[in-house]
Amino acid sequence: MRKPWGKLLRMSILRRAVQAAALLAFLYLMGAANFLNPLPGLANLFLRLDPLVAVTAMLAGRALIAGMALAGVTVVAALLFGRAWCGWFCPFGTVLDIFAPRKAVRQRSAPPERLRLVKYLLLLIIVLAAVFGSQALLFLDPITILTRTAAAAVWPALGYAVAQVEAVLYQVEALWGPLDAFHNAVIYPVFQDARPVFLQAVSIFLFCAALVALNGWAERFWCRYLCPLGGLLGLLARFSLFRRQVGPACTGCAACAHSCPSATIRPEQGFASDPAECTLCYACVDVCPRQGNAIRAAWPGWKPAPAQPYDPGRREALAALSGAAAVAALAGVEPVRKHPPATLIRPPGAVEEHFAALCIRCGACVRVCATQGLQPCGLEAGWQNLMTPRLEARLGHCSFNCNACGQVCPTGAIPALTLAQKRQTFMGLARVDRNRCLPWAYATDCIVCEETCPLSDKAIKLEEATVTNARGEQVVMKRPYVVKELCIGCGMCESKCPLTGEAAIRIYARRSQ
Amino acid sequence: MNEKRRAPLFPRRRALRWLAVSGVGAALAACGAPLTAQQSEFQETGAATPEPPAAGETYLAVARGEDPAVITERAVAALGGMERFVKKDFDVIIKPNICTDFYTYEYAATTNPVVVATLVKLALGAGARRVRVMDYPFGGTAKSAYAKSGIEDAVKAAGGEMEVMNSSKFRLTKIPNGKAIQEWVVYQEALKADLLINVPIAKHHSLARVTLGGKNMMGLIQDRGGIHAEMGERIADLVSLFRPGLTVVDAVRTLMRNGPTGGSLDDVKLNNTVIASHDIVAADAYAATFFDLQGRDVSYVRAAAERGLGTLDLEAIKIEEIQA
Repeated sequence: MRKPWGKLLRMSILRRAVQAAALLAFLYLMGAANFLNPLPGLANLFLRLDPLVAVTAMLAGRALIAGMALAGVTVVAALLFGRAWCGWFCPFGTVLDIFAPRKAVRQRSAPPERLRLVKYLLLLIIVLAAVFGSQALLFLDPITILTRTAAAAVWPALGYAVAQVEAVLYQVEALWGPLDAFHNAVIYPVFQDARPVFLQAVSIFLFCAALVALNGWAERFWCRYLCPLGGLLGLLARFSLFRRQVGPACTGCAACAHSCPSATIRPEQGFASDPAECTLCYACVDVCPRQGNAIRAAWPGWKPAPAQPYDPGRREALAALSGAAAVAALAGVEPVRKHPPATLIRPPGAVEEHFAALCIRCGACVRVCATQGLQPCGLEAGWQNLMTPRLEARLGHCSFNCNACGQVCPTGAIPALTLAQKRQTFMGLARVDRNRCLPWAYATDCIVCEETCPLSDKAIKLEEATVTNARGEQVVMKRPYVVKELCIGCGMCESKCPLTGEAAIRIYARRSQ
Repeated sequence: MNEKRRAPLFPRRRALRWLAVSGVGAALAACGAPLTAQQSEFQETGAATPEPPAAGETYLAVARGEDPAVITERAVAALGGMERFVKKDFDVIIKPNICTDFYTYEYAATTNPVVVATLVKLALGAGARRVRVMDYPFGGTAKSAYAKSGIEDAVKAAGGEMEVMNSSKFRLTKIPNGKAIQEWVVYQEALKADLLINVPIAKHHSLARVTLGGKNMMGLIQDRGGIHAEMGERIADLVSLFRPGLTVVDAVRTLMRNGPTGGSLDDVKLNNTVIASHDIVAADAYAATFFDLQGRDVSYVRAAAERGLGTLDLEAIKIEEIQA
């Protein structure tokens, strides 16, 4: 019987509202955090609520991370309401709902039930790999996926598109007045004036897009079969208090089974569902014509949810253990372990030896970087550093007046340095390429690297030399050289070098001091 | 099954249609983008030649004193007051040097905020319709540099606006009297304004020797790296394009070494002086003396003088020295 209150009171409507609020909050925090106000403690809120991130960061980093205590809230919520996180809160889940398949498509050739095992396997591999000290697979966590995709692909692409449209409108000079007003009130506060580029923008976008596209095979394919965080919450959900229960009013019409986005309501088992799969979305409750099922406290009479055929057994646990060992062992034989690439410049204060263990590959630092020179790694530092941040100084230097990355890092992989500390932190060392540098190689005036060096005692100095130029004239050239003891490796010089393409002064990694 | 109840939150067809429309828009934008850099609506001219004072009147004013507001007012007053430069309803742009967000103004890498704010106040008092203050910092963002320099707060309190230079308002522009460069991508507002007031801070620079009014014009262009080769001639070309109507050199605090960015108070010398003139070359030539240089020792000042953009001959002009 439809209640007289109609649609408004239906739980699935409420759920949509909560989902929208959570997604908007996520997007707002992402958009609002910038280097001038990185919103410390807020910008990384969703990451700190993520128990998978909390567990692996503390296991791999061998550290207690106070800020991660927030994930306890999610754990408690899961013990009460199971995977309600997935159905009500997770912004990536909401994105998947926005791109949900059409009803007609939804029931076509459902994937095999055994596939649900994959998320548990992934979870076990990720957690065990963390025990071995590796977080290499954390790029598979849904919150890191969404953060990274937003920071390094969607947001900058959107900003670019907006800027291009603006550029066209600005062709018409008569429009400058209103355009300026709109730009200053809306566009500038949202996108600032950075025109960031990201080396991995396309691959990051395609990865996320592929996960969304799997929706076409089955609704919330990612959440059902792949999501390691979903797996973790599923394990907790076996012990949850509030669960979906089928009552005596059920007539077996199967409307609930058809409505379930997790496809976990099985007619052959009396329309029972697996709490580890149920996201408490209330589709079943709302669709039921006679209140045949409800989500209620399973008390009294509570007992853990029954095991399912797709639950991982001993064999799978062993496979996961070997998988994790393989991740850790293969990571050990990548060259980056012996000699980190000289171009692998980590964010300020990050110590290479500990960094990869603490970094969860989320890209929160990438988002707030003042110059957007921080970039998620591709494979340049091996698989184990995939999606960890590095400074690509040619695209943007470490801004002298910015310490935002350390403020938003949820795990402390990038320490929260004060500005004064950061300005004395060695990130790398500049090297002049004398075969390319204008004064050195071509007897042409240029001191841009020296003039932009932000240190009060400039790390780039100029030596004067009388040389013969191409016209055979004797000219006095000011030629830049780097003082190793002063250079902090911020990369200002590399980013501003006026040459096309590769700069004639570049930053190389140096052992932290 | 109830199709209506399960209707998706965002109907895909509508979304697709919307995407298609915006995609076409974006494609158009992409096609249009190269045009923005190629065409300029301001090809015919640079700005007007700054008007010299009436015969016998003060050509260049030098005011010394503890209070930057007072010496700025006195210097401008000595030139005949801001009314000589600002007519009613003028759209005025003030161009200080806000090169980076590295340090506060005490370190003398950025123009003194009181000097800038005083000029805003004077321009508004003389009847300006609006007064915008802007620069194109190379360190940090415009917003962070405006804030760090103290100029944003001071200007807003004085009733002026800070404008963040919008990349859509740069155009490749012909430089009619250009010698080393015939065209450059420059900020169009600086050409459109009724009056451009140039407010450099006098400071050390390793290639130019000193950064003064001429070099301050580099904040109105996008590609600055390209200016450094043949810097003197190229800056003179920029001066010939922008022709600021009034130049006020801030020599209140002067960065003597490690410019243009600074960062050590040991490198800062208190001169407590501002120098004002309609003649950018004369103002720069006078300011150069704070560095034990003469105008002709500074490549871009000498080059600008050779083009007839102003005079280096400080003996031949009427200079009013004010002790405030």
